[in-house]
Amino acid sequence: MNATRQIYWNIQGHIAIYPLFLVAIVIFAYGFYLKYRLWHVGQPVDRNDRKGARAKSLIGFVLGHTRILRRRQPGIMHFLIFWGMVCLFLGTIVVALQSDVGLQIMHGPFYLYFMSLILNIAGLAVLLGLLIALYRRYIKPAEGLDNQPDDAVILILLLVIILTGFLTQGLRIAATHDPWAAWSPVGNLFARLFAGLGAATQSEVHRALWWSHLFLALGLIAYLPYSKLIHIGTAPLNIYFRSLEPNGALTRLDLEDEDLETFGAAKLTDLTWKDLMDTDACVRCGRCQNNCPAYLTGKPLSPKALIQDLKLQVHQQGKLILAARKTAAHPTTGEHETAAGSELDAGLDEQNLVGTVLSEDALWSCTTCRACMEQCPVFVEHVPKTIEMRRNQVLMESDFPAELNGAFKGMENNGNPWGLGWAKRAEWADDLGVKVVATDGAPEYLYWVGCAGSFDNRNRKVSAAMVQIMRAAGIDFAILGTEEKCCGDSARRLGNEYLYQSLAEANIETLNGYGIKKIITQCPHCFNTLKNEYPQFGGNFEVIHHSAFIAQLIAAGRLPLQAKLNGTITYHDSCYLGRYNAIYQPPRQVIEALGLKLIEMPRSQRESFCCGAGGGRMWLEENLGERINMQRTEEALSTNASCIGTACPFCLTMLEDGTKRKDVAENIKTLDLAELVQQAIQSAQ
Amino acid sequence: MAGVWVFAEAKDGKFRRVILEMLGEARKFADHLGEELWAVLVGSNVAELSSLLGEHGADKVLVMDNPNLAAYTTDVYAGVTLGLINTYQPTAVLFANSNMGRDLAPILAQKLDTGLITDLTGITYGPEILFKRPIYAGKALVELSFAANARPMLLTIRPKVFTPAEPQTGRQAEVITASADLNALTLRQVIKDVIRKASTRVDLTEADIVISGGRGMKNPENFKILEEVADILGAAVGASRAAVDEGWREPQYQVGQTGKVVSPQLYIAVGISGAIQHLAGMNSSKCIVAINKDPEAEIFKVADYGIVGDLFQVIPILKQELQQALASA
Amino acid sequence: MRIVVCMKQTFDTEAKIALTADGLIDSTGVTLVVDPYSEFAVEKGIQFKEKFGGEVVIVCIGDTQAETAIRQCMAMGADRAVIVTDPAMDGSDQSATARVLAKAVISQEPDIILGGFKSVDSGSAQVMLRLAEILNLPHVNVVTNIEIGEGKAIATRELDDGVELVEVSLPAIFTAQQGLAEPRYPSVKGIMQAKKKELKRLTLADLDIDPTSVGPANAKVKIHGLTLPAPRKGGRIIGGEIPEATADLVKALRDEAKVI
Ligand SMILES: Cc1cc2nc3c(=O)[nH]c(=O)nc-3n(C[C@H](O)[C@H](O)[C@H](O)COP(=O)(O)OP(=O)(O)OC[C@H]3O[C@@H](n4cnc5c(N)ncnc54)[C@H](O)[C@@H]3O)c2cc1C
Ligand code: SF4
Ligand code: SF4
Repeated sequence: MNATRQIYWNIQGHIAIYPLFLVAIVIFAYGFYLKYRLWHVGQPVDRNDRKGARAKSLIGFVLGHTRILRRRQPGIMHFLIFWGMVCLFLGTIVVALQSDVGLQIMHGPFYLYFMSLILNIAGLAVLLGLLIALYRRYIKPAEGLDNQPDDAVILILLLVIILTGFLTQGLRIAATHDPWAAWSPVGNLFARLFAGLGAATQSEVHRALWWSHLFLALGLIAYLPYSKLIHIGTAPLNIYFRSLEPNGALTRLDLEDEDLETFGAAKLTDLTWKDLMDTDACVRCGRCQNNCPAYLTGKPLSPKALIQDLKLQVHQQGKLILAARKTAAHPTTGEHETAAGSELDAGLDEQNLVGTVLSEDALWSCTTCRACMEQCPVFVEHVPKTIEMRRNQVLMESDFPAELNGAFKGMENNGNPWGLGWAKRAEWADDLGVKVVATDGAPEYLYWVGCAGSFDNRNRKVSAAMVQIMRAAGIDFAILGTEEKCCGDSARRLGNEYLYQSLAEANIETLNGYGIKKIITQCPHCFNTLKNEYPQFGGNFEVIHHSAFIAQLIAAGRLPLQAKLNGTITYHDSCYLGRYNAIYQPPRQVIEALGLKLIEMPRSQRESFCCGAGGGRMWLEENLGERINMQRTEEALSTNASCIGTACPFCLTMLEDGTKRKDVAENIKTLDLAELVQQAIQSAQ
Repeated sequence: MAGVWVFAEAKDGKFRRVILEMLGEARKFADHLGEELWAVLVGSNVAELSSLLGEHGADKVLVMDNPNLAAYTTDVYAGVTLGLINTYQPTAVLFANSNMGRDLAPILAQKLDTGLITDLTGITYGPEILFKRPIYAGKALVELSFAANARPMLLTIRPKVFTPAEPQTGRQAEVITASADLNALTLRQVIKDVIRKASTRVDLTEADIVISGGRGMKNPENFKILEEVADILGAAVGASRAAVDEGWREPQYQVGQTGKVVSPQLYIAVGISGAIQHLAGMNSSKCIVAINKDPEAEIFKVADYGIVGDLFQVIPILKQELQQALASA
Repeated sequence: MRIVVCMKQTFDTEAKIALTADGLIDSTGVTLVVDPYSEFAVEKGIQFKEKFGGEVVIVCIGDTQAETAIRQCMAMGADRAVIVTDPAMDGSDQSATARVLAKAVISQEPDIILGGFKSVDSGSAQVMLRLAEILNLPHVNVVTNIEIGEGKAIATRELDDGVELVEVSLPAIFTAQQGLAEPRYPSVKGIMQAKKKELKRLTLADLDIDPTSVGPANAKVKIHGLTLPAPRKGGRIIGGEIPEATADLVKALRDEAKVI
């Protein structure tokens, strides 16, 4: 006997599905179109290059759930619902193909395995997923979730759809005494419930439930773009259109463009369509917020709130803007106007982003640590938005925390944020006899010291250690000396693109002038901007962070490290080394080679918790909430390691500041990797 | 007639130390020129101060005592002083580089169409007399002389640089009393109010001397003794961020990268390690003193003078020594 | 209200001062900035404009390099500028400088004139007052606040032991002390606009000044030579027992450093 079942058993006029489906689709499409229009009040940006890479993203992140599964419970929840629903949807298509296209596929093993067993399991999976979701929302609320009516509506709707599905199946099995019932274990279970009912009742209830199931499913489709379920569409789109630039590269502003009326983002329409689409991809999962150092230390910034508040603006302001553009497009004169400026003509007073989606305090609280973006399952881009708003505040409004005045002027006049005389930049190297490019010619490796390594006595020790290490390994290196200027990282991340570009251009001119090819940095901020951002201005160098460089030297046996250090260490991943540049292993390799026992902090590598100094926060006072560096220091101390290892001058400052404040600095040293290696070299010699 | 004049600005019946310092140097100046040293006393109820000026080296004291001269305003003082200069034709007039001197001297220089050297810190006597003053905030020194037609030579003298002459008790100066018709002067400046900073502490960023405490101060009470030292010096009290974080001082007194930037003549860092974030706020101070028990502390790298020792031992002694030193002035 | 601000360009305060072979100040590689005291004045002027309307005119004597400083002031918000550039001005003293400034300033018919009470380079602190005398305008020197009233202003003048409030009628000259206004950081919008603002370049001839009446030959004060101070004795640790060391410290501060 050929395994199959009768399609549309007990149902007359199933063909009505199609017009109904059409209605649902129209409502759905209209909703999506409205959203699409709203996103496009934003600026154009090309996110459709490198299609292959984009398609690959979809496979990994959508089908493979690679990011979503990083968080176990919600990951599994989503996996179950997603794949369950995908299977059920495929099943529905198969039915349609068989019944109305005439493909005879619903029989035999395919019927038994897929249409019966797998779909039963899929339904069960969705059910399970929904239960987890309900549990996370209403029984034991998970960190970072907020409940809105929409959440409940969706969960209940799905639950009812799945249940009515099983119920109709159960009734059909019971009424038809389906011989293949065993292949639908869940349906079969439900069938037993109805075994006692009379055939007429069975048929009547079945019909009622069948139509309800259908209406609910179509309702769900229609409701989709009006709810957070829109992410079914927007999440893959967001993943497809995600930025493929290096993590560490902010966009370049064309400051020469005289036509630009504004720099950065003051208003909604200054953001890109992708920025606005982000808001409809966000599922309010809270992962960003759960990892945000600003949020977790009580500052008025939450990346989730940023996106949600922006979403509100897209919906409220966006509609007004669209309406205004419409009137502007058909004014009485009949002349057609393009987007720019037309809102104004229509008398629309567009609101500022700062103050509505983000308070000033929140804007300046971000350390640009990228924890939010690293966690976001749908690739929402928080940091670039923050930077665009900062750019506007700085470049157009000149409105920023007062402390920055000195830092900006210092970088401008003396090439370092402390404003110390530029002529003193190379003083640290005076007694070390380090070669200077201007007098000794271009070396194989340019050693880029950075402001901290040049001026800060604490970090000068790291520079000295680097000199010793490179000499021990016989590296041909030299410094730029007083010709080196601040790399501009802080300026750029504080929104001062103008200052950044002038610093970057000056440095690139110097470096190119000497024909420098390879650069070693000890500061991840220098590293990141030299490597990922200087190419925007014609600076193409092979840039190597000292942690990676040392790891290479050790691996190649070029460092005399016979003596092993003893003791335990915990290593703090710098954001700009780790999350921005995926350098997680080399520092750990160095630590291992030194013979130190590494004890990881609860939050490490991808999940590392910022020290508080990134994004130019190094130059700002931290008066709101708890100090970020204190929270991180406490975390480091919780490992009971006898030393805190860093590979960034800012992290070093921040964590040492923390241990000093905790009054443990005497016993628990905070050291740069280079200093540890130096110790090992010294004890070897 | 000729002479080297010292404009002996007095307040509340007293001279600031700089007036005596000026007399000391002006004596040498006058002797070099072979001229008399005159002190000029302009003000209200100032006549009785002439004897002190004589004791400190003045040959003559020119007194213009008038109740309407109680308060300084540019037009009145410039008017009467111009009258005196025109009458007696001095070779040089020295003013203190005080707020009065800084205001009066340039106006007179222009009225007299002569030269003015301000903020003088040294004189070399030779065939040509050379006057030394700091430029570029003391990072260079320039030597100047007056053109032959620039008479009188006008100068303002930096305080605390020259040495006062030993007072000769009983030495008397001839007193010349002058008067002027103040009504003939147009007065364009009207003083509406004077606010004296009695004991309220000087503003951090404007203070000439700042004394700051750091984590080494251990607790808020210990800042009291810094305040006492500050009062003696007329200094402002600052703090490192560590001290502010501990809640020992208010945030507005934080000196450094994310606090206030100060550049006083004298900065005394007490129990401060000298992190760059702190240095960024005070490293352009003229003279830096560090008191710290750790000889390796970074602050000693930027300090002009350092004492390695327990601040709780040093500060009380410092207080005493300062009291003595400044009392003797 | 027309506000004229006299602005000078100077070395960055962090600049390392060195002498050339002929004993002059070496300006190679030095960052040039708006003199901080001028900058307070510029800021205050812009604040006045924002409050009362009118325009801010920068008047500057300097060479072409000084134009960057002028653009900086314009980027902050100054409306236009007059720069007097003339090789004859090299080596002029304060009296000549004030005379030239006076001509340039008065041609602008100002209601209020602002400038730094001194500059951080020469620090002679007399140009603005000489200017007041030449223009026969009232002035208030070393001020930390100015309140404008009907045809007059009340300025807060710094005293050695406090402050006084001085009233003068306008037009008048005020010289800025630190605290008068916190200079703003120019926006890029401002920088762009600055490029297009009017900058009038004048020579002495344009101002009807005889070039032979200025310059070193006419200086009332002649420069003989520059020297650098003995380098900081950097980190002299005063040794010995604490009481002696402390006493030595006080002595050093008084006799050597001359700061107390
Ligand atoms: C973003 C950021 C911004 C910052 N901004 C500023 C800023 O604006 N201003 C600022 O000051 N800091 C700032 N810091 C902090 C700075 O890094 C240092 O941590 C801070 O300056 C240290 O203060 P301290 O010297 O008082 O404390 P410590 O570094 O702990 O030094 C205390 C010193 O006191 C000495 N000491 C202790 N007891 C005695 C005793 N009995 N007698 C004599 N000496 C004693 C010790 O030897 C030690 O040298 C900032 C840090 C960060 C990360
Ligand atoms: S970058 Fe870091 S600090 Fe900024 S919002 Fe994201 S998680 Fe928070
Ligand atoms: S932005 Fe991303 S991580 Fe944050 S709540 Fe939205 S979906 Fe979650």
